[in-house]
Amino acid sequence: MGNEIGYNDWFKLDNAAKIFPAVSTKIETNTFRVQFALKEIVDPELLQLAADGILERYPMFKVRLKSGFFWSYLDYNSSPFYVEKLPTQVCGQLSPKENNGYLFKIYYRNNLITLEVFHTLSDGSGAVMLLKSLVYEYLVLKGYKLSPDNIILTKDSKPTIEEYEDSHGTYYNAKNRRHVPEKKAFGIKGTHIPDGHIGLISGTLSTKEVVELARKNQATVTEYLSAVIMYTIYITQIQYREHLKANQKPVKMFIPVNLRRHFPSKTLRNFTNFVKTDMVMNRSDISLEEILALVKEQFKKGMTKEELIRKMSENVAFEKNIFLRMTPYFLKKYVLKIGYQIMGLSLNTMSVTNIGKTDFPESMRPYIENVSAAVYSGKFNTLNVAIASFEDKFKITFTRSIIETTIEREFFRFFTIMGLKLEIESNYVEEYR
Amino acid sequence: MKHCDKCQVDIQTNQKYCPLCHQVLQGEDDPNIHELYPEYVPIRREILPLTKKIILFMTVVSIIILLTVNFVSWDGAFWSLIPVGGILYFWLIVRYGVLSKQNIAFKLALLTTVLVALLDLIEQFYGNPDIESWALNYVTPFAFLACNLAISVIIWVRRINYRDYIFYLISIIIFSLVPIILALVNVITIKWPAITAFGAAVFILLFIIFFFPKSIKEEIKKRFHL
Repeated sequence: MGNEIGYNDWFKLDNAAKIFPAVSTKIETNTFRVQFALKEIVDPELLQLAADGILERYPMFKVRLKSGFFWSYLDYNSSPFYVEKLPTQVCGQLSPKENNGYLFKIYYRNNLITLEVFHTLSDGSGAVMLLKSLVYEYLVLKGYKLSPDNIILTKDSKPTIEEYEDSHGTYYNAKNRRHVPEKKAFGIKGTHIPDGHIGLISGTLSTKEVVELARKNQATVTEYLSAVIMYTIYITQIQYREHLKANQKPVKMFIPVNLRRHFPSKTLRNFTNFVKTDMVMNRSDISLEEILALVKEQFKKGMTKEELIRKMSENVAFEKNIFLRMTPYFLKKYVLKIGYQIMGLSLNTMSVTNIGKTDFPESMRPYIENVSAAVYSGKFNTLNVAIASFEDKFKITFTRSIIETTIEREFFRFFTIMGLKLEIESNYVEEYR
Repeated sequence: MKHCDKCQVDIQTNQKYCPLCHQVLQGEDDPNIHELYPEYVPIRREILPLTKKIILFMTVVSIIILLTVNFVSWDGAFWSLIPVGGILYFWLIVRYGVLSKQNIAFKLALLTTVLVALLDLIEQFYGNPDIESWALNYVTPFAFLACNLAISVIIWVRRINYRDYIFYLISIIIFSLVPIILALVNVITIKWPAITAFGAAVFILLFIIFFFPKSIKEEIKKRFHL
């Protein structure tokens, strides 16, 4: 009776997950999307079968959100899960009361398979794992001969305890948890798109060319692109208006860091931290080189083990605070909301998520066309960007909650002026009436 | 494929304007292209239907009239609070009983508890002290008894979902202890309904403890983890 999966049928929220149920609304949805484009039209019935099969392998996704007296938690969900047609809304709210209680969605459209996940369940890396398993299962059902090559978690394998782990707690260090106060960040302003719609513009570059370009500047791809975005923000929003009060605030990029690459963790739940670049741009003669040098330095500082553990421990210490823990959840919700308002959103200008190169087994590669990702945009962080690459397709996806596309335009023109080949796709928001 | 010569980009979709600079694109529409993203469908806004508006309007007006009449013809009693309470309870049923997506055990537990509290309050203020209390003696224990049985039956019939309901069953069992405590301190004068409700609650509780001991322990662990 619901207990058939034994010890792991309910989960405490992990450290990063705890904040999201309290602060998510229709506008600040905290949802993100990863999607694979196949080389053929997707068959919805087979996709449904694949989803049913693979969900048993991912018990940490087959859950619903419930509130307890002190914390909410994830409880085993016995309701059926249904795949759906891709809707217009990008990264819309995933309410715990809809969708049979599931906090993620699987969509299909033509040759696209899209996974949208509420951040409480997992981070980008966990979502990509699930989507890979799903697409693998789908392709197997289609009758193709594939082998998982230890990259894919298949239906037949067994979930391990390591996959449920809250790794934040594992690497917590009570001695290294100093809180570093931060200044509020510069916010990109604009006219909000009505109805909470999100505009999506995605550009496809050549992976080889982008990597070459970054190497030429002695930077990693993430460093280089973050610097270019900062530079674009500078020339479109700030330059020659440096005296304005709003422009004194530092431009801050929030760059999620996959901690699985820095610590030996196998968890499929949240395990990310961040690096922030931070620059006050109140001069009229800032060059890209200057920004890039600063970004490189800040990456180096932010990526040290010590700094990563400090940021992680700071959050865990907040969660471990006995007063917060003893507060009943209906009050705690407001504490978290206020805390997030002060310490969360307004400290970043925008987020730059690079989910990197996606690994597939050799036998699966011929069926995949491209990989892309997208992050929601809200009231303060009006523009976000997600980067994903597969083979020679390097996809940079901007999502925005404002009508203006100045930053996207200048960002992409930066590459076309250098002669890089660029293809653009968009979800038509500018043509909505 | 369409092209914007200002931005020097190719556009993969059949758009009319460049997504970046909004100028008209060059090139013909390609009929073979699969549009990547679905067309815009306006979000259905929840507009109050007219009936709901009318009922809401009548509710507010009647509450104001009731209170006004009560004050103008003041005879030392707040009699208007009885119909006002009834009207508010009606809205509670609509909001949490009919429109809410919560599970049925929650609805039953909530509505029963509020109903019992409402009736007890009404009697407390306006009941005839010479006549034996009807709400306390009969309604309170029997309402909880009925609710207990209803949730048990639902769990029994749809047993797959018992874990979603068991929390509400336990809370309503705990509420069932209220009448027997009231009986012990002699607030309730007629004891058999209270004892019946209590007996049934203990029976259901023992049944859960004996047959699903793990689930009750788990449920408490889940709901109260720090």
